[in-house]
Amino acid sequence: MENHYYPCITRRGFLKGTGMASLVLFIGGIPFLVSACGDQKETIRLGLSTPSTGAAAEKGQVLEHGNKDAIRYINEEKGGVAGYEVELVWMDNGYNASSMVNNVNKFMDSKCLTFGCSSSAMMTAAMTVANQNGFTGLAVYGAPVIYRPPQHIYGQMPDYGDDFVVFAQYYKDNLWNGQGKPTVAMHLLNNSTGYGAHDGAKAKAAEMGFEILEPVFEHTASTTSETTSLNSIRALNPDILYIASTPKPSSVIIKNARELGMTGGDMVIACGHAGMTKALVDLAGADVCEGVYGLFPTVNWDDEAPGMAKVKEYCQKYHSSDYGNMDYIASWCQSLIMAKAAELAVGAVGYETLARGGADAWKAYEDYGIKALDNYDVEGLQGPVSYTPGDNRMSKSLRVFQVQNGNINPVTDWIEAPVIEYEKFDWFGKK
Amino acid sequence: MNLPAGIRNYSYAQDMAIFRTRTQWVMLGLLLVLLITVPLLFGNYWLSIFNIIAITIIGAMGLNLLTGYCGQLSIGHAGFIAVGAYTSAILTGQYEVPFLLGMLGGGLMAGLTGVLFGLPSLRVKGFYLAISTIAAQFIIMWVISQWGSVTGGFVGISVPAAEIFGYRFTSPLSKYYLILAICVIAVFVAKNLARTRQGRAFVAVRDNDLAAQVMGINLFRYKLLAFFTGCFFAGISGALLAHCYYGFLNPEFFSFKESILYVGMIIIGGLGTTVGPIFGVVFIRLLERLISLELVPFLESTITVLPSGWASGVTPMLFGLVIVLFLIIEPRGLAHRWQLFKNSYRLWPFSY
Repeated sequence: MENHYYPCITRRGFLKGTGMASLVLFIGGIPFLVSACGDQKETIRLGLSTPSTGAAAEKGQVLEHGNKDAIRYINEEKGGVAGYEVELVWMDNGYNASSMVNNVNKFMDSKCLTFGCSSSAMMTAAMTVANQNGFTGLAVYGAPVIYRPPQHIYGQMPDYGDDFVVFAQYYKDNLWNGQGKPTVAMHLLNNSTGYGAHDGAKAKAAEMGFEILEPVFEHTASTTSETTSLNSIRALNPDILYIASTPKPSSVIIKNARELGMTGGDMVIACGHAGMTKALVDLAGADVCEGVYGLFPTVNWDDEAPGMAKVKEYCQKYHSSDYGNMDYIASWCQSLIMAKAAELAVGAVGYETLARGGADAWKAYEDYGIKALDNYDVEGLQGPVSYTPGDNRMSKSLRVFQVQNGNINPVTDWIEAPVIEYEKFDWFGKK
Repeated sequence: MNLPAGIRNYSYAQDMAIFRTRTQWVMLGLLLVLLITVPLLFGNYWLSIFNIIAITIIGAMGLNLLTGYCGQLSIGHAGFIAVGAYTSAILTGQYEVPFLLGMLGGGLMAGLTGVLFGLPSLRVKGFYLAISTIAAQFIIMWVISQWGSVTGGFVGISVPAAEIFGYRFTSPLSKYYLILAICVIAVFVAKNLARTRQGRAFVAVRDNDLAAQVMGINLFRYKLLAFFTGCFFAGISGALLAHCYYGFLNPEFFSFKESILYVGMIIIGGLGTTVGPIFGVVFIRLLERLISLELVPFLESTITVLPSGWASGVTPMLFGLVIVLFLIIEPRGLAHRWQLFKNSYRLWPFSY
């Protein structure tokens, strides 16, 4: 009879073997890990998080493209920052607050000097972690709650509250010819985008001689009809219908308002800068949007600003579907500003200090980069950027636009929005 | 519980013990050592991921008690988490209540809110109950966003950092240890609760509520108790989210999608088990992060012939695909797979 040999494998033997194999693999792998970490280029790292998926993807993807193309432009044509290549650490946040918190931590661990964020809702999720660590953030679009009181989060542009204040001043100076106080009906997106504008109205409307009609109406980002709320607004007979929202809901409101015949008389429709983009005209239609006013903090695509040629070239080359979208310009500017501040910081404290990352690098970037920005023109693409103590809005300039023959044309030069110390109002941070 | 050959119990206390063999104690010790030394190995990014995982485990434990053990389907869990978060934030921020009391207040308020919305469970069950809990999510979020004078409305409110006996938990490391400690307590409580008279009553109600009633179990009491307990855990989880994770609250942080994900977590982990929610939470949270935070940037930087931004669209597709495949391959959850692994290890090299 043939004898079969069966190896005797015990549990203890199995565990010993597995443990030894793991140890050998770990020790053997160390040289590979070390070699993989050793060969690294000298780069300036900037963090960026956009809502490229999720509820705000319509804006997030364009903003992502604008930033990435601007970094490509900085590296390819401007020789990077002070001779160092800019490395963009980009992360999608999916319009999810907990992902955004992780992203900020990732940026800090990755030795990024700063991070950019393109949504006020996401910046509210990120700001506590960033402020606690002294990590500078730059919000492309923002609500007052993000940087009042000022800490380590900066606004690339005026906020949604400034939109209202600047438009109110423009209206009073150029459009109002009635008696008494102009009345304003507000239709707000149900988040910080909408209520950021409301904060501006609460702070300044009475002082500027406007009456904000009650109730204030609100809508969701996914609204498909606002006829009910607009019927109520029609009964109030306002002089201004002010919409603080993103393009899609703004288009629904404007379409519904046209259908109800609300714009035949003297009533003016105005949109905050979150909604005043090409997407609004595309979604609502040029006829429907004709005459609508809006605010925006950058130039438009037909302006002959010095930097527009490159914006157009890169957009057509890499993301032609974004052509005409002003969000693309806004995010392009964001990257230019972050890079410019890095350049100033490198000049002041040297590359080594910044490359080490951590609290010292972030402080150096903030003190010698962001706070050293003085009248930086951003290649003429937006209002000049300067740091003013006590005011974390880096640019204070907005322009009033109007939809004319399907195009979004500027009707004013840059208008400077005043600083509003929201934190001094009892109601700030409340509805 | 299956025990290795030769292990016998000589008393009721031994029979009820959670850890009975030396191997189990050693494994527990190793796990605790690993959890305590984690911060030595990882940076802020991974600590923040561990923090959200631990906070989510607490919430999922509550949902598992309610849905997994008692069979009361709830699709409004993010709403109850929001109640706990806002209550604790308001108590500590506006009334200067100490953090620990604020957190317990958040748990209690969420529990009571759960009882309120659990009342329909006495008349409806299954899909109908699910619909009523969806209503809870929307009603709660509507109240929070409209009650602006207290909650900050749509703009949101700042939340003070957690503070115990004068020590403020602001660094990622300190937050990690605080969250870990509360998470371990929550898991321990949930495990033991499931083995008590109440836990067994929950299971009886889940398996057949009519039979349970015939046996003398008070359905009214136990269903509402399940809602209170499940939502209490949600409230504690919400308080930790507010104080140790966000530091700022906004109604958008508690979306309906989160409620759906919570149900997905306990199904993927394994309903009606203690380790199931842990596995489910780790799986879903890591999958979310690995796909959107690691895989997409990796794909973007590796495949450069496609226009930048192309990989963003991959995230939702991959996320959905992995979950669907997982449910097809292992519908009884990761806890079942874990049980199979333990059994086969114990018997190895024999099959049976």
